[in-house]
Amino acid sequence: MEGFYKFLENNSIFIVMIIVLIVWIGIFAYLFNLDKRLKGIEKEIEKEVEEDKNEE
Amino acid sequence: MAWKIFLFILLTFVLIAGISFPIVENPKVWYQFPLIPGLKENAKIIFFHVPSAWLAVIGFLMSTIYSIKYLRKKNLDDDAKSYSAAQLGLIFCILATITGAVWAKFAWGSFWSWDPRQTSIFALLLIYGAWFALRSSIESEDKRATLSAVYSIIAFVTVPFFVFIMPRIMDGLHPGSADDKVTPGGGPIVDFRMNDSMLVIFFLSLIGFTILYYWMWKIGYKSLLYKEKLNKKLIRG
Repeated sequence: MEGFYKFLENNSIFIVMIIVLIVWIGIFAYLFNLDKRLKGIEKEIEKEVEEDKNEE
Repeated sequence: MAWKIFLFILLTFVLIAGISFPIVENPKVWYQFPLIPGLKENAKIIFFHVPSAWLAVIGFLMSTIYSIKYLRKKNLDDDAKSYSAAQLGLIFCILATITGAVWAKFAWGSFWSWDPRQTSIFALLLIYGAWFALRSSIESEDKRATLSAVYSIIAFVTVPFFVFIMPRIMDGLHPGSADDKVTPGGGPIVDFRMNDSMLVIFFLSLIGFTILYYWMWKIGYKSLLYKEKLNKKLIRG
């Protein structure tokens, strides 16, 4: 860990890279959340379509 | 569609320029950034950390605007828009906090030092964290929308104070504090010692992130609206 810290201190461009990575992770987390919500909607629509078919 | 391609090109350029353009003592060519004493390459955090904080403010502002709209027209669609905006606001607020803390480890010596800027963003996180707790604790749709709209408006009153005023009138470590030597008396971060090309890329980054935010917000509230519509249809049908 000490070595890594020293490395980052001497090559501070990698700190910027870590920061970009963190922002990217945040955006990705939002996408995951959205995907989960859409999957829920998809499932409910499928269920409804099947119920309609059964009624017919 | 065209604006999405534009956004992709813009953000790609900002990423490449923001990371790879060299920092030199006396910039002579347009793609060189000036050296800021004591900061070295990590001065480039400004292209990614400041837009995150900016989006947090935009998110909270839009959440408040749609809260006011909801209270006036009682349309639940506005509540979904407000919720989606605040969700993004909170995500980018957290990102600004974490990226700031990582940077602070190398610029100030520790991840967290209760600098006025860090204290104020922590208070903001608590305020908006409570907003989400409030929302999830109410079952009735209309009641939840009304209460969270009122809370959102009151919460936003603190945002200009916490983001634009308090960290600038107090002494601190964050650039733009009252005792900052680069911006005497405290001032916006833009007064930071940047040259023209650094300023242009900084503003391009702000514009790019704002468009990205708009896109994320649009997809977010649309998914909420469809979920609501479907739920209502299922209950009625």
